[in-house]
Amino acid sequence: MELGQMQGRLAEYTRSLYMEGILDAQFLQLQQLQDESNPDFVVEVVSLFFEDSEKLLNDIARALDQQSVDFKRVDAHVHQLKGSSASVGAQRVKDACVAFRNCCEEQNVEGCLRCLQQVKQEHYLVKNKLETLFRLEQQIVAAGGSVPMAEMTF
Amino acid sequence: MAPTIESVNQGNGGFEGNNKRSDRFVKATWKNKLTALVVDNGELCRVLERENLRAYGVETVAVETGEAAVELIASGSTFNLIFIDMYLPTMSGPEAVRQIRAMGARSKIIGLTAFITEKDEQDFFAAGIDEFFEKPLDPDWFVPIIREVDNQI
Repeated sequence: MELGQMQGRLAEYTRSLYMEGILDAQFLQLQQLQDESNPDFVVEVVSLFFEDSEKLLNDIARALDQQSVDFKRVDAHVHQLKGSSASVGAQRVKDACVAFRNCCEEQNVEGCLRCLQQVKQEHYLVKNKLETLFRLEQQIVAAGGSVPMAEMTF
Repeated sequence: MAPTIESVNQGNGGFEGNNKRSDRFVKATWKNKLTALVVDNGELCRVLERENLRAYGVETVAVETGEAAVELIASGSTFNLIFIDMYLPTMSGPEAVRQIRAMGARSKIIGLTAFITEKDEQDFFAAGIDEFFEKPLDPDWFVPIIREVDNQI
């Protein structure tokens, strides 16, 4: 595939992620923090996000599995996950956390388990999508091209 | 919400934000040298808050706990701005702010949280914050705050 075609494909793919609400403007903000002095910033931050969030999701699952569920603990984890997903622009994960919080307030274990499933699903989705995005970027760089800064034109 | 890229030119031969990464493009310049302290237990949030502020020309230090923040200020460090998370593991955000204010610190303190609730808002303001925002840091709201602080010096 030609460089131009690859870049076009990347732009299209990126646009689709915003259109589907998987990413929001915060991700664009993240990309703008990357520069020559810190060329891998986005990948590093996103990796950190996935490491952190996987741990949080496991902690939440464990907390919900207890005989007597400590909803404050679950809430604290959801709180942290919402903060970090909002910070990287993982919009659907963030929204799933908002819904999760309501279940925590109701102290409803079944509801929380459903919410956890939803968050996990969104998390899995954004992880796959971003891995694809980074792979497309790598292909362009490997072919000697540069990755254009994404534009919010919608 | 659309992000804004601001090239704020304060002119007057202002002191450009002095970041460790010297060849970083800084999105704003200020009249004064501005410093900030970020207090957040989560590494991701801490890194992003720090990098956002540095990108806008504010010399920023980040710590993980309320205790570390209090210790830093007790040792004589001063900051124009403090961004502090509500939920910190041992010493809470409000408790840290109370102690910081008790030491006479006049920094602009911005409380941060993932979910704003009325109770948290009351507690945090009572402790002495100046502003309360939901994460993440967005130039739309933090750049005007920095500008205000810069103009007041």
